[in-house]
Amino acid sequence: MAAINLTLPPHTGTTSFLRPPSTSKTYTYTYTPSKTQSFHSTRLNNTHLSLSSLKPNNRRQLNGLVVCAVGKLSETELVPVENDDVVVPSGSGVYAVYDNNGDMQFLGLSRNIQSSVVFHRKSVPHLCASVKVGVVDSPDRAALTEAWKSWMEEHIEATGKVPPGNEKGNTTWVRQAPKTKADIRLTPRPNTKLTVPLEELIDRMVKENKVVAFIKGSRTAPQCGFSQRVVGILETEGVDYESVDVLDEEHNSGLRETLKRYSNWPTFPQVFVNGELVGGCDILSSMHEKGELADLFKK
Amino acid sequence: MGSRGANVLLSRASRIKTKLQSVLEAKLLEVEDVSYQHAGHAAVKDNANETHFNVKVVSGKFDGQNLVKRHRMVYDALADELESGLHAISIVAKTPKEAGLD
Repeated sequence: MAAINLTLPPHTGTTSFLRPPSTSKTYTYTYTPSKTQSFHSTRLNNTHLSLSSLKPNNRRQLNGLVVCAVGKLSETELVPVENDDVVVPSGSGVYAVYDNNGDMQFLGLSRNIQSSVVFHRKSVPHLCASVKVGVVDSPDRAALTEAWKSWMEEHIEATGKVPPGNEKGNTTWVRQAPKTKADIRLTPRPNTKLTVPLEELIDRMVKENKVVAFIKGSRTAPQCGFSQRVVGILETEGVDYESVDVLDEEHNSGLRETLKRYSNWPTFPQVFVNGELVGGCDILSSMHEKGELADLFKK
Repeated sequence: MGSRGANVLLSRASRIKTKLQSVLEAKLLEVEDVSYQHAGHAAVKDNANETHFNVKVVSGKFDGQNLVKRHRMVYDALADELESGLHAISIVAKTPKEAGLD
């Protein structure tokens, strides 16, 4: 991820950046150049932009070379986005999201404004009632940053505050990488003895958790094509599930043989839903294709 | 086909066929050895021989049985094989009606 370093402008008037003085209020926005066409909002990690030190004449010096590429925030049309057909351009530029009270919640920068707005509509719909969009025609990083700063400045001058979504530490608007769940281990440390018979432990596990998948390998690195397919199906279905690695002899010693007896099923993977064995890869695949899995998971 | 004594000389595929045929009275039976597809697989290691099969069975005995029960019937019929190196089977289990064989 790119980190833009901001330093105080020298007197030469060349384009340079601002470093925030430590006492001033800072807030972050994040910027990453997107790798694919769709679906990446731009994020810049850990950059503190302080606009309290941005005074109009400083900016003009700064802007000797870069002309601000977007119109004024106040002169930009407010476009409602409450229907799901978002009519917003897909170019690069700056965008401001307003809630249904007309307050600005977030000022963003994107290489694909439309996809960013769609993403925000999905993740925080209650905060996205309308947007203002400023497409930047030659979207190099400097131009984009300039456009963003100009709108932010204008907004602060007009309202006296920073949009809540841009405050430091606020991650509401930033796309988070989904954290994968850890596999369940029967014993916390390797080669520990069980205090409860294994069959009972299995029984409890499948009854206490809605969906349990006993697979070969871990959910992030399955060691068998069938297990991998099952993990893929569960991930696609989006259901919350527990996974147990039957090949892990250190933490799950004896699980393979005991489970075969418990389920009366000789192969892996094995998927249990609501305490009952649903089947292995074949059955899961067939149910997934027929749409039966979604119904099963709802129960 | 060979008698019981000569069982061991028959390939696993033919043994699977014989067992499923007799236990399930299959109307249609296809057994395919796909072990080569799983060579290098963690538990198979060097012996990718007669370890993974695709099995398709059409039988009236599957009527009224859900998928889990059908698969269990197949597994039960092949219990010996599963204990002697048969590692995994992909099962397609249909009733004659489902298979359009009525």
